[in-house]
Amino acid sequence: MRFASSKQFLLLLLMPLLLRAQQPQGPTGGLMQLQVAQPAVDVSSPVTAMAVFDPPVVRPGEKTFYRVTVDATESSIRWPGKMSLPPELRSGANARGQLTQVLENKFRPLTSFIYEVRATAVGRFGITNFTVEVYGKPLEIPAAILDVVAENPEPQAARELRLETSATNVFLGEPFRVRVMLPAGSSNQVEALRELQLNGDGLMTDKTTARQSVEPVNLDGHLTPAFICEMVATPIAAGPLKFSAQGFAAGREFTGPISIHGQVTLPAGPTKYVLLVSDAVEINVRPLPSAGELPGFTGAIGKFACDPPQLSTNRLQVGEPVHLKVVFHSQGDLTRLVPADPPHSPDWLFIAGNPPDTGYTLIPLTDEVRETPVIPFSYFDPATAKYVDLTIPSLPLTVVGDSLPVQLPATDDETQSAAPLKLSGLATTPGKRVGSLKPLQLRAWFVCVQLVPVIGFLALGQWDRRRRFLEAHPEIVRRRQARRALGREKRKLQKAVAAGDAMAFVQHAVAAMRIAVAPQDAANPRALVCADVLAQLDSEDQCSAAGETVRKIFAAADARFAVAAGTPAGLLALRSDLETVLRKLEEKL
Amino acid sequence: MSRCRIFLALILFAAEFSQAATNDFFAQGVGLSRAGQFPEAAAAFAKAAQTRLASGTLVNLGIAEWRSGHAGPAILAWEQAQWIDPFEARARANLKFARPAAQVDAPQLKWFETASLWLPSDAWVWLAGATLWLAVGLVTLPGFLRRRKAGWQQALAALAFGFFLFSLTANLGVVSRTQIGFVLKKEAPLLLTPTREAEVVSTLNAGAPARRLRVRGNYFFIRTAYATGWISRAQFGLVCPDQPDAGVESPTGRTEPE
Repeated sequence: MRFASSKQFLLLLLMPLLLRAQQPQGPTGGLMQLQVAQPAVDVSSPVTAMAVFDPPVVRPGEKTFYRVTVDATESSIRWPGKMSLPPELRSGANARGQLTQVLENKFRPLTSFIYEVRATAVGRFGITNFTVEVYGKPLEIPAAILDVVAENPEPQAARELRLETSATNVFLGEPFRVRVMLPAGSSNQVEALRELQLNGDGLMTDKTTARQSVEPVNLDGHLTPAFICEMVATPIAAGPLKFSAQGFAAGREFTGPISIHGQVTLPAGPTKYVLLVSDAVEINVRPLPSAGELPGFTGAIGKFACDPPQLSTNRLQVGEPVHLKVVFHSQGDLTRLVPADPPHSPDWLFIAGNPPDTGYTLIPLTDEVRETPVIPFSYFDPATAKYVDLTIPSLPLTVVGDSLPVQLPATDDETQSAAPLKLSGLATTPGKRVGSLKPLQLRAWFVCVQLVPVIGFLALGQWDRRRRFLEAHPEIVRRRQARRALGREKRKLQKAVAAGDAMAFVQHAVAAMRIAVAPQDAANPRALVCADVLAQLDSEDQCSAAGETVRKIFAAADARFAVAAGTPAGLLALRSDLETVLRKLEEKL
Repeated sequence: MSRCRIFLALILFAAEFSQAATNDFFAQGVGLSRAGQFPEAAAAFAKAAQTRLASGTLVNLGIAEWRSGHAGPAILAWEQAQWIDPFEARARANLKFARPAAQVDAPQLKWFETASLWLPSDAWVWLAGATLWLAVGLVTLPGFLRRRKAGWQQALAALAFGFFLFSLTANLGVVSRTQIGFVLKKEAPLLLTPTREAEVVSTLNAGAPARRLRVRGNYFFIRTAYATGWISRAQFGLVCPDQPDAGVESPTGRTEPE
């Protein structure tokens, strides 16, 4: 037992030997490079200084540069604000610059101060040595001598940069190209430029678009190879703008891609960094006109064009993003083009694309939209000095709303149907049709229609009332019937006269007189005789021609009952007298 | 005579043309619905309904709107289909299905409004007119015609007058129901005042019923089951629109003219 426990104890002691430590895994790729030790910046070595005139021999009025080079950082040097020069030397523009050079696996800062100097008199002039404070310690700047001679048998031009601009009269914010050239030196060797910069206020330089090349350029009538660096500058202040270029001539330390044209000689040996400057160039910067500015102007200046916008899809759901591709074209660089601000719309959420993408991501917030919104955009054309509209038009699209269920689960409620509720199928026919949803109760014409029965019943009542009245006054009916019958008999009478039918004339004349007289006695017309008719005439008329006419006509009518029936002649001549009689009788109806 | 014939022929041609156009839109909507293009189908059915209102067209319009995600316009279309034809089974079934799904209630009707649902709205007014004049005729015509009033005539007159009185209440219900409408937009704000910057009293679900009480400018003052307030015209659709013979307008195509 004791032996077994000892073995277990030994095994436990040996367990750590079975364990292997995890090997640390080193970083790969870019991480490895980050962890590689970088050379230290050398600020502990003794600082040296050098001062020279470049060129050291000039004629009066010629340009030379007083250049002081100190291998220390620029910020550590307490440089005097004003140089003390001999009165025969006039100081012009000055500049300073710093770069870092690699010396024996160490970074060594190098700072240069440069002054443009012109001598006014012949002689030997010098700038005495003086002391400046570097890294808190005094450093003596050696003296430099400039010989100003009347005649220089071997004239040597001051080495400087050449600065050219693509335009000298630009608008505020209008990009223009700047060309900095370093011509080949005396031995025709082309050197690179480092730490190139433009000095001057109101100018913004875009070095990301810089382009380097070596090609022959025409300088003062001679083709000379030169290192050329082209970049884009943008004025950010209006008015006259003066600027110059500076940079270090850096031997063959070319950085970045470079295109070389023609035969080029590169310097050999260790690089000697020399700070060079250019003459200042002045341009005129005009402010943009405020008149005529169009909506959607974001500062784009130049000449632009836009392809028709394209949607990634034209059918989407609410909340689903869609990309609106907008491609601009320009003669110049587009990297600094600011896309148009999308309009504020409660129906859309806009996300502008990351530069250089000038498109938009649109998210519809409602399904009521039928097209993308119009995005106003405009640019300023410096050639015409006018704003140009380049609005992005709307595009049709279909936005589908949030989906709703088409079926609900069956309910357990006993009162409800156990069958699941679902949306019905489509109706195959239009079904019952109506002209309007407005009910008949509220339509004016229907109210008018309801007046028709009212009018009908009123008319019926009026008719009944009239009927009762006539029943109470039958003479009115008789007279009216007599007038109608008299009219009929008159027409027949006229026909008989026209036909020359004396017998018919007599019959209708008798009938007419009987009808005209009958209502007076409430008698049947056929029961009346001549005396009844005469009784209705005045006493004077009974004895006059009227009475005689009545008698003749009745006599002629009675003659048909005679044995020898015949019609007396001249009866038709009684027509006018008969009409008189009838008129008088009718007046009494 | 020939002019009359030409005029009649033109009228018949116009009627046939309109009918054909309606059918075209209806058939187009059915085809688009079957293809799953519901927004386009809704637009086609809306055009068909604008040309000629029909219950089946409105049923299909409601289905297309529902499948497009528009609960409010769908419920309104089905209610309008039922307004035209109370016996429309599809509309009734869809409303029964849609209200729980959209979490909205049916409109709360008064007793005479419920009675008015028994027949189409136009039938009630014809019934009222017919029964009134039948009763009046049975009472008055025997006198005019100098006939003795029979017992059956008097009984029939009493019955007709009874029907007339009842139909009056139903007609009142029909008129009263014209003020019922439904919220069209999702989360439509119910405002305290009829202004654009008004305070929001509450928000309403799409398809929620309400009764219009007043009109002011571009806003309706409505009463829902829980609150009263103002709502924009564009967000509220009446079963019986105000515009005479305007038919239905696709609620999704409306714009707020402010």
